[in-house]
Amino acid sequence: MKLNHYIGCVLGIAGLLTAQGCTVKAVGDPNRPITINAHITIDVKGLQKTANSIEDYVSGDTSAPQANPQGGK
Amino acid sequence: MKSRTIMTMVFLAALCMVTNAWAASYDIKEMTPEVKSALDGRRSRFEELKSLKAQGAVGENNKGYVEALSGNAQSVVDAENRDRRFIYTTIVSQNGLPADALGTVEDVFAKVQRDKASSGDKIQDASGSWTTK
Repeated sequence: MKLNHYIGCVLGIAGLLTAQGCTVKAVGDPNRPITINAHITIDVKGLQKTANSIEDYVSGDTSAPQANPQGGK
Repeated sequence: MKSRTIMTMVFLAALCMVTNAWAASYDIKEMTPEVKSALDGRRSRFEELKSLKAQGAVGENNKGYVEALSGNAQSVVDAENRDRRFIYTTIVSQNGLPADALGTVEDVFAKVQRDKASSGDKIQDASGSWTTK
């Protein structure tokens, strides 16, 4: 029973990581390239936060926005 | 035991959503001299633009840029829009967004600029009509 629990967890984590990472590996004939149309959805809320931070700096309300190499998608 | 597995799965799904929400921020990842110059340029002309806006000579359009509506404000408007465009394109490029995301970035900045506009400023709403805030 305990083993089932761990197997469930491992499969769950693997599933979630796959869903998040979305790595696509295409293997096939190099003369017939595969076209993958990816659709990227922009998170407007995240963008609004950035816009607010920049506009606050421009108006003198806050100090300079810091570069954030870790953040973002 | 089965319910424990389900609870773990629910927790992992929630954790996944939180990390996704956290990751969805678009920052200036590298403060290059050009980005700093654009930000400081905008900051340095803020008071001048504020005064021109109060006179009704400049307004905030619905594309994230300022527009000369009357008088002799074209040069400051051009300089401001050059810096704004550089900042918008930097956000797109440094966050790995597709080139057509520039329109979304401009729309979001336009909304924030409308929200932050002072009372009496000319603003262009999403439909294209100019109003006084």
